[in-house]
Amino acid sequence: MWTFGRKIAAGFALSFLLLMGIGMVAYRSIVSLTSTSHLVTHTHQVLEHIAGVLSLLKDAETGQRGYVITGDEAFLDPYQSGSSNVHSVLKELRELTVDNPNQQKRIDEAEPLVTLKLSELKRTLDLRRSGNVEEANKIIRAGEGKRTMDNLRVILADMEREERDLLKQRADDVESSASSAKYTIILGTLFCLLFVTAAGFFITRSLTGQIGAAVRHMQNSSAELQSAANQQASGAKESATAMSEITTTISELLATSRQIAESAQRVAHVAEETSSAARAGDTTVQKSHESVNGIKRQVDLIVTHMLDLGKKSQQIGGILEIINELAEQTNILAINATIEASGAGEAGKRFAVVADEIRKLADRVGGSTKEIRVLIEEIRAAVNTTVMATEGGSKAVDFGARQFGEVTTALKQITELLGTTTAAAREIELSTKQQSTAVEQVNIAVSNVAKAAKETEVSSSQTLQTAGQLAGLSRELTQLIQAQASA
Amino acid sequence: MSATLRTANSAEALRSAFDSERALPFAARGVEQSENLITIRVAGDPYAIRTSEISGLVADRKIVAFPSPTSELLGIAAFRGVLLPVYSLAALLGYAAETEQTRWLALCGSEEPLALAFSGFEGYVHVSLDQIHAAEQTGAMQRTVRHVVRGVDMVRAVISIPLIREAIQKRCDKNGVSKER
Repeated sequence: MWTFGRKIAAGFALSFLLLMGIGMVAYRSIVSLTSTSHLVTHTHQVLEHIAGVLSLLKDAETGQRGYVITGDEAFLDPYQSGSSNVHSVLKELRELTVDNPNQQKRIDEAEPLVTLKLSELKRTLDLRRSGNVEEANKIIRAGEGKRTMDNLRVILADMEREERDLLKQRADDVESSASSAKYTIILGTLFCLLFVTAAGFFITRSLTGQIGAAVRHMQNSSAELQSAANQQASGAKESATAMSEITTTISELLATSRQIAESAQRVAHVAEETSSAARAGDTTVQKSHESVNGIKRQVDLIVTHMLDLGKKSQQIGGILEIINELAEQTNILAINATIEASGAGEAGKRFAVVADEIRKLADRVGGSTKEIRVLIEEIRAAVNTTVMATEGGSKAVDFGARQFGEVTTALKQITELLGTTTAAAREIELSTKQQSTAVEQVNIAVSNVAKAAKETEVSSSQTLQTAGQLAGLSRELTQLIQAQASA
Repeated sequence: MSATLRTANSAEALRSAFDSERALPFAARGVEQSENLITIRVAGDPYAIRTSEISGLVADRKIVAFPSPTSELLGIAAFRGVLLPVYSLAALLGYAAETEQTRWLALCGSEEPLALAFSGFEGYVHVSLDQIHAAEQTGAMQRTVRHVVRGVDMVRAVISIPLIREAIQKRCDKNGVSKER
């Protein structure tokens, strides 16, 4: 199917071709006319020169006759003018007819006659000047000059006739070209008029159908555009509202980011202080560790001494057992001595007293050994308790030393972790600052987007308005097309 | 007062007491009505024996078991080159049996010596006759105990060695044991 452009272009192209044809024909006719008019002008120039040659010779003859008759030099002016110009005019005539061999031949025939005439005139004038009037009249009466002139007239008349024939022929050519151009223009114009009318009819008919369909389509599209513009306007309004909320949220986010950055900075500061405190604590703990090691050595020494003390007290206990056994044996011996003494009657009484005293001593020694045993048991119990307590203390010191070691390790780990924490806090601070910058940029971008959304809302309204105008325009177009169709 | 100082004071008191006792003339001590007793424990109960009724006290002597119809006879033991029958004092006093080791032996009599084994020896006491009272015992105790000694902090049955010997004799007679060894 042909588009609008193709149809209109085809119509215009055909019209243009027809106009071109008509124009070319007219141009060719005008060119031919111009050429023919130039030839006519040329022919007229040739005729003027032919007449000029004859006129100049007549002027020279007139001046010659006046001088011969009067002898007045004043009559020689025409002669002077004619004799001096006739050869140049003849030369021009030869140049004008250079493409015509017949005329050149006639000029060749006329040129000696002109020279002959001028020499006859000069001879007569010279004779007159010398006072030979009769001689001069004689020459004139002889009619040589007249014959020369007659011959020239015949030759020039032939030339004029031929030129007149050429003029007539060229006038006929002009007439033919003019009539051809006239008919061509008239017929071509009529044909063009008919063609343009038909093309206009068909193009209008076709365009009316197609434009009508397009206008109806445009009506539908404008209605859809109106609906879409409505939706777009409402969407743009919602977008603007959402963008405002996003802007508010981003502002809050920005404030939060700044707070986070400040907090991260404080964390980094605190971590640095904690790290220095942990290093100081590490030094203190190391000193304490050394002190604890000293305490441990002292406690070990105490344990060793206490164990020695326990062994010594055990040895004392062993010795005391021996003493106790000895006291018991002494006691038994004393009792037996007492028994024996009581069996010995009066003689044994003194011995009985001694034995009783020994028995008392043994009793007291036994009592003392019991007390000493109790004391030693208490010492041993105290030593055991002390050893146990000291061992407990030693274990506690060992545990404390290990704890100090663990605390030292923990403090070193704390220091390292605090270093990591400081670095992380600084990274967080830096990242949060970058984030704040990014959020500011996002905020600006979102503000721009919000502005764009508002502008979109405005443009949507304008689009809506434009869609309404488009709908009105399509209705008007429909009315126009329907009017054309009805027309 | 610390234990060391108390011990030192005790030693000084012992020394002075022994010196003063030894310094007095024998006649100056006077004659008092008294009894010497050894305090013992039989099956955990406190008893006393008059030193005048025993001839000696020994400890940790080996007792060789000896077959006999008399259940109170633990065996025989050697003392100063003489073999002695050893009787369980607890069994003679009517106890079922001694749970503790009977490491102490009280030697009795010189013509027909015998040894009485008991588990605990506590000491030697010197009591006045005022502190010795007649016992009100029944059953087995009535055959072996006649007196009770009562002191400030002590109440003990005084085992009568002659009654013990009679009881052993009766047991031997009852079982038909010859007195000849």
